[in-house]
Amino acid sequence: MVVTELPGGASPQNTVESPDYFSNLKLLLRHGEGTGAILATSAFLATIAVVLELVPVWVVWRLVTALIEGGANHALFASHAIMALAAVVVGHLLMAVAMGLSHVAAFRLIHALRLTLARHLARLPMGWFADRRSGGAKKLIVDEPERMEVLVAHGLPEGVSSVATWFAVTFWLFAVDWRMALASILLTPNAFVLIFIAMGRSGRMVARYQKLSERLNGAIVEYLAGMPVVKIFNRTGEALSDTVLTVKDYAAVETEMGRQFVPLGALFYTLVVANITIILPAGMGMMALGWIDLPTLAFFIILGTNYSQPLLKLFNLFHMIAHISMASTLIDTVLETPEQSDTKKRMTLQHHEVAFEDVRFGYSNHDVLHGVSFTARDGAMTALVGPSGSGKSTAASLIPRLYDVRSGRITLGGVDVREMSLEQLMEEIAFVFQDTFLFAGTIADNIRFGKADASEAQLHAAARAARAHDFIMCLPEGYDTKLGESGASLSGGERQRIAIARAILKDAPVIVLDEATAFADPDSEAAIQEALSELSRDRTLIVVAHRLHTILSADRIVVLDDGSVAEEGRHEELVARGERYARLWTDYTATQTIPLRRVKLETAQ
Amino acid sequence: MSVIDTPETLPESRSDIESLRRAWNLAGPLKGQVARGVGFRFLQSMMLGLSYGVVVWVVVQLAEGRELTGSWIAQATGLMALSLAGQLAFGYLAVRNSWLSSYEVAGHLRLRILEKLRRLPLGVHQGRHRGDTVTVLTSDMQMLESFFSDGLPRIAQAIGLPVSIFVVLLVRDWVVALAMAVSVVLALPVFMGSSRRLSKLGIKRQDIQAEAGARMIEFVQGLAVIRAFNRLGQGQESFRRAIDDFRDISIRMVVQLTMPIALFGMIVMLGVPLVIWTIGLRVESGLMDMGTAITALILLFSMYGPLLALLSVMESVRMADASLIRMDRILVAPDQPQAADQIPQGYDLRFDGVGFAYDPQRPVLRDISFTVPERTMTAIVGPSGSGKSTILNLIPRFWDVDTGSLTIGGAEVRRIDEARLAELVTVVFQDVYLFAGTIRDNVAMGKSGASAAEIEEAARAAQAHDFIVRLPNGYDTQVGESGAALSGGERQRIAIARAILKDAPIVLMDEATAAIDPTNERLIQAALARLVEGRTLIVVAHKLSTIQAADQILVLDEGRIVESGVHGELLSKAGLYARLWNHRVRAMNWQLSR
Repeated sequence: MVVTELPGGASPQNTVESPDYFSNLKLLLRHGEGTGAILATSAFLATIAVVLELVPVWVVWRLVTALIEGGANHALFASHAIMALAAVVVGHLLMAVAMGLSHVAAFRLIHALRLTLARHLARLPMGWFADRRSGGAKKLIVDEPERMEVLVAHGLPEGVSSVATWFAVTFWLFAVDWRMALASILLTPNAFVLIFIAMGRSGRMVARYQKLSERLNGAIVEYLAGMPVVKIFNRTGEALSDTVLTVKDYAAVETEMGRQFVPLGALFYTLVVANITIILPAGMGMMALGWIDLPTLAFFIILGTNYSQPLLKLFNLFHMIAHISMASTLIDTVLETPEQSDTKKRMTLQHHEVAFEDVRFGYSNHDVLHGVSFTARDGAMTALVGPSGSGKSTAASLIPRLYDVRSGRITLGGVDVREMSLEQLMEEIAFVFQDTFLFAGTIADNIRFGKADASEAQLHAAARAARAHDFIMCLPEGYDTKLGESGASLSGGERQRIAIARAILKDAPVIVLDEATAFADPDSEAAIQEALSELSRDRTLIVVAHRLHTILSADRIVVLDDGSVAEEGRHEELVARGERYARLWTDYTATQTIPLRRVKLETAQ
Repeated sequence: MSVIDTPETLPESRSDIESLRRAWNLAGPLKGQVARGVGFRFLQSMMLGLSYGVVVWVVVQLAEGRELTGSWIAQATGLMALSLAGQLAFGYLAVRNSWLSSYEVAGHLRLRILEKLRRLPLGVHQGRHRGDTVTVLTSDMQMLESFFSDGLPRIAQAIGLPVSIFVVLLVRDWVVALAMAVSVVLALPVFMGSSRRLSKLGIKRQDIQAEAGARMIEFVQGLAVIRAFNRLGQGQESFRRAIDDFRDISIRMVVQLTMPIALFGMIVMLGVPLVIWTIGLRVESGLMDMGTAITALILLFSMYGPLLALLSVMESVRMADASLIRMDRILVAPDQPQAADQIPQGYDLRFDGVGFAYDPQRPVLRDISFTVPERTMTAIVGPSGSGKSTILNLIPRFWDVDTGSLTIGGAEVRRIDEARLAELVTVVFQDVYLFAGTIRDNVAMGKSGASAAEIEEAARAAQAHDFIVRLPNGYDTQVGESGAALSGGERQRIAIARAILKDAPIVLMDEATAAIDPTNERLIQAALARLVEGRTLIVVAHKLSTIQAADQILVLDEGRIVESGVHGELLSKAGLYARLWNHRVRAMNWQLSR
């Protein structure tokens, strides 16, 4: 490509010590079955296109030579014009096809990568992604794979053709005259040495830059998130001045890095396009010495001038790849997370009792459960209560294997939950958690998730049982109302009732409820509670609760404190014991009855 | 050719020229330095042009048989040295001006936007576009930086050389000069047309992809549910369809997008055979001398090369376009008006015919009128979405009323001095926000210059003192990510301590519904009771005890007050209130029963 341009990606910010520059490419190659042939074709066509781009250069040189040596006539020009025309047309067409093919390959590779990710995700412990914010899902499945497009679709044909051009031109120059060739390329390696020194110099500040960059992001997020508080406490001036300070510090570091980089960097940008200034004097000298003739000089002027171009392209490409590679680590992290074991064995269960046997568990480095044992009997209600952070929700999430225990075991019907297939475990257990996930699609679709082949009557019965039927019927399209961004927006309580209908339709013998009414608006709470009662009839029911009145009739209340079982028993027994549960109960009743202000209550009485 | 990779949503398609103008306007006071950078880059490219001039001069003279003498070589070498020196000098000045000004432009714009955000109604950047706002201040700025440091100067460079070549040729042989320009002129409409088309297609592609993307995201987010219901097969099937669609759309669009780009390059380069043909004709007919012919041939690629490079610059302009639009959206948003010509007499609060809508199509509050006498308690109840929290948001001017008036002590809140209004009102937020810093800093925020004793007293009143002193560093414990992990209940009490220290006569609160354990909840209740003692209180109420204790209950439904009065009266009316009340009583008494 005979194009005069300066690199765009070479800003010093992009420089980091030693990242794995090609991690993404490796990732793609590992997952890209069947695209090899397309990519090879694309690279091959791109190379031919580049060779064809050299044809007009050759044509011009031939004509200049003819003019110098005499014998230039219109026929010669005409035939060469046709050659150039053909080369330009075919070259551009081939390049377009190459780019098209590389895009096809890129999108297929991304497709394969997404499929691999989806398959792997499906085998990870369920809690793994349930924990992650919606931004994480988008980043993982949409944004990061999408970035690979640039690598493959642009990086590959441009990279291969740049290397090919560089080889071809270098070879050609040296084949014509090695002395002139040396003169032509003299500036190029020097320029690149300078840029690497420049990058090294400003690179020393990278750590500082990155720290400030994080500080800047933090300051901005805090400025925006804290704005209501700042406003209400009339501290806008101070909050602004803190943020302003960070913005200024950041600009100062950037400027300092820039100052470090600019002298050598500018030299690079100039030298890399300035080969002509050496070629001509050197050529005149060599002509005077009789080493070369005028056509040869013309050749080097025409071809040698833009010698650095393919290298510049490669340099920019390398930067881009490094930048993308450094930015994306999430996919690697996910793929490296070990799969959850699944025996795929179907076990015969005698009953549906759930038992914790000395269960220990923790997230990454802090332990949450230190040896928890209790039994939730078949057909009975077991409640888990305790202060925040005592581990009750964590314990509940271990039953359906959102996570696996670290030691000890959890049994269902006498069988370790890890011994039976995940499929069977999911058949046995229904769980309703704090936040409800509904799919885009109709309400009926969402409820049918519990049982795909449910009849209309079963569907409505489940919705009725979940106290959802009435509000569904009030929606413009009833059960066929679409949910999701473009669809109807439901309140938290309504969503929860649909999730409960889904669980009712599933009709599983074990039910785990984790604060299922926590985010419901107070006005739908009563309806949800009735729905839950419906769900819990004749099943093994395990409930995590803060609102203690809801579990007064539990057959067994397990009080957790700091990851261990502190007390166990029925409500009355525990209250009579006067220990932890009794204190919780006192606090709970007090909270419900102490009004915000006493004064009014007195006057009202 | 990453035109097609534009990652952001463009609300509208615009020409590149408009985007350039928009970017240029953002340079603000640094326009001078930016322009100098561009100017020096242009001069650098002119100095490179000087080299080409020397080359042409030497080659033509040589071809015409001039003797190579030492002095001529020295002369040419001297001119080349001059050209190189000029390029180096101007190149240095160009890079220095462009780079350093780009950092300053970004820094300056960040400050301008931060300052602007402060003057907007709070809701504007707390709402839907908050993520956008962060993007504007971080990654969009980097985009803009690289536009000013790299993109803009490259335009100057790409235009400089071809223009000077054209002028030189025009003087020597206007026919060949025009022949050279033909392909560029012909390619221009393709470029302009495709640039608009590309940006339109880009928008369409993003829309379609966003839809397929949403289905992919749904699979990942819903994975736990999918597995819990043993629906992996179907789930993967629909995921598969989504990624298939995504792939097919992407491929189809790319083909449509690549073609005009290839076409533009091809048309420009077709100038090469055309010029060759023209030179041949003119040389043969003796209209053109050999020197001019050689000149034109040698300069041919230096004419077209930079113009092709413009293509990639324009791509980066288009990439920056989404960033520019987001910045503009903030910069052109109307400021929240500030006046300070009314002084409140007393603390009674009055809504008179207030109407409000976040989105003009969907009014949230209609004709709301009520009075809250000083030191009384008003509870707001109503179904979700009835506008309860919006009423609270209007009082501290997080948003301004659209119609009607809202007064404190007879003064319109919009006309009360900002600082004075902040003194009058405290808001207890549902989600607690603590700043990075110590617990002491966070509490002290309530009152500037608060003494250690005052801070401790407020913390005691908020039931927070005991747990604070048990922390390893007591009041000097850092909160936030790197600091102590405080529970939700503890954070809430620190926030209440802050509000108690502030000691404002009017308190607004929304009773939290989030899951907090009974012990913490009781402490919070006690802390709140201290906070509201003797104040004017407006509360979005959830607790039966709170509602019962109110001097006035407002029942909201679909943005209107449908009932108001005290508990006993309202209950006997057997209207919406009575219905809501019974729901809650039922919820309170409900047990999971067998």
